[in-house]
Amino acid sequence: MRQHTTQPEAEGATPSASVPWPIALDQVTVRYPNGVVALKDVSLRVEPGEMISVVGLSGSGKSTMIRTINGLVPATSGTVTVGPHTVTGLSGRQLRQLRGHVGMIFQHFNLADRASVYQNVLVGRFSHTPTWRTLLGSARPADRDIAMRALDSVGMLEKVWQRGGALSGGQKQRVAIARALSQEPAVMLADEPVASLDPPTAHSVMADLQRINQERGLTVLVNLHLMDLARQYTTRMIGLREGRLVYDGPAADATDADFEEIYGRPIQVKDRLDR
Amino acid sequence: MTTAPQLDIPPRPRTWPRRALIAGAVLVVTVLTTTPALGGVEIDLDSIARNWGNGASRIAMLFQPDWSILPRTWEPMLETLEMALIGTAVSAALAIPLSLWAARPTNPGNPLRMAVRFVLNVVRAVPDLVYATILVAMVGVGALPGIITLVLFDLGIVVKLVSEAIDSSDSSYMEAGRAAGGTQTQINRVTALPQAWPAFASQVLYSLELNVRVSAILGLVGAGGIGRLIDEVRGFYRYDALSTIILLLLVVVILIEVASNYLRKRLR
Ligand SMILES: Nc1ncnc2c1ncn2[C@@H]1O[C@H](COP(=O)(O)OP(=O)(O)OP(=O)(O)O)[C@@H](O)[C@H]1O
Ligand SMILES: [Mg+2]
Repeated sequence: MRQHTTQPEAEGATPSASVPWPIALDQVTVRYPNGVVALKDVSLRVEPGEMISVVGLSGSGKSTMIRTINGLVPATSGTVTVGPHTVTGLSGRQLRQLRGHVGMIFQHFNLADRASVYQNVLVGRFSHTPTWRTLLGSARPADRDIAMRALDSVGMLEKVWQRGGALSGGQKQRVAIARALSQEPAVMLADEPVASLDPPTAHSVMADLQRINQERGLTVLVNLHLMDLARQYTTRMIGLREGRLVYDGPAADATDADFEEIYGRPIQVKDRLDR
Repeated sequence: MTTAPQLDIPPRPRTWPRRALIAGAVLVVTVLTTTPALGGVEIDLDSIARNWGNGASRIAMLFQPDWSILPRTWEPMLETLEMALIGTAVSAALAIPLSLWAARPTNPGNPLRMAVRFVLNVVRAVPDLVYATILVAMVGVGALPGIITLVLFDLGIVVKLVSEAIDSSDSSYMEAGRAAGGTQTQINRVTALPQAWPAFASQVLYSLELNVRVSAILGLVGAGGIGRLIDEVRGFYRYDALSTIILLLLVVVILIEVASNYLRKRLR
């Protein structure tokens, strides 16, 4: 696995992306400790380098599904595989190592708002850094370089020394993308990455994700609840309803009727970003 | 004129039984604690009136400060300040890891967190004069037992307040750190620490303020500082000199408070 982190870089290029990984869910069920069954018998295969959206109503299990892929939520039954790793049953160091190859961004950005942008992006280097070195507080020049390049690639390099909390929503999400990119991941997960952003910013963040998918060839899996974003930015779409996979097909071809089927109700204005 | 449609306001929950209960409890506790026959403390207001004359002459002396003591105060006052500063610095250094270990978001593992919290509860439960007395017996008269007492005293306060601040603050960034494959230690070092920094600095400054006052007392049991001088002049009934020392202490405490308030504002 070490080769992923120590690949020599081409002159002036962005950090070399790893080989993209496939994702496979095999009959995955998730039951939370309180008894809620959030995912029911979901099977899915995502090809390396695909950009795929997961749509569904609030509570349909999108966040749960995406979190089984990096083990933030353990599958109760079934197996999840990501690249060469079987996520199910991993723990400790092995789980952290897997997560190091899977970038994730969140609806609420999850930045430490009193820490600098730089520190927030260094979080992406955790799994490639021994704990004692992090404790000493001195990043390796190579890690620093990766963090700076990741920030540059989302146009946030000039904010590197600002506090995370001093940024706008769109800027925060770009920093969060840089944090995930600095992992040099093979897979990128995004859980409602634009749900807290205004429409123009939402489009530019989606375009960033699309560019990451196309330029770096990363496998990208993005949760969305807006149908037009799914159609416009992703090539394949998965529909979840009450924890079950109810749709799987090319995103561009998904009709309003397909969405009504996924949502289990007629289309409403709020299901689109651009009204 | 049209009448607005009737609003369907849900009935307001009744609060009077709760208020009556609280008022009753306050009454009962007051009676119990002030009635000697029931095991309460004895409050003898008469004795204040009877002994008034004794106190009055001393109070009168307090209003005529004897400035001749001033040259003798510099050295012990400096020692008090040094003790306060060293105690604060040492406790601050120890409080960083302890606060992180005592808070749930930064230390989700239950046993270690519980252990740290338990030990700190014990540390906080023991009065500072008890530490000072025992430590003076153990390591001898001087500043060292005073400093150790202050460190224990500060740790109790700082770790409790900072770990509670961490507990109640938003820690969604933790999930990002975990998703990136970080260990808890890495997450704490790079993100939780800067997040907790303002709370930490503010409590440390507060403990510095407290230390000046506390270390003035510690001298009474031989733990160094201005308290030793206070003890001495009090022994000779030199209340006019005592008055000078108290005024000096007041000035120092106010100066430190002003400085720390200023610094604390800059932290936000
Ligand atoms: N930690 C948890 N413990 C218990 N139940 C949970 C937990 N997280 C989610 N659930 C439940 O699981 C179901 C699916 O939730 P999930 O968050 O996966 O939905 P979602 O599609 O992401 O919804 P949203 O669009 O609102 O984010 C919901 O019924 C939710 O209440
Ligand atoms: Mg969700």
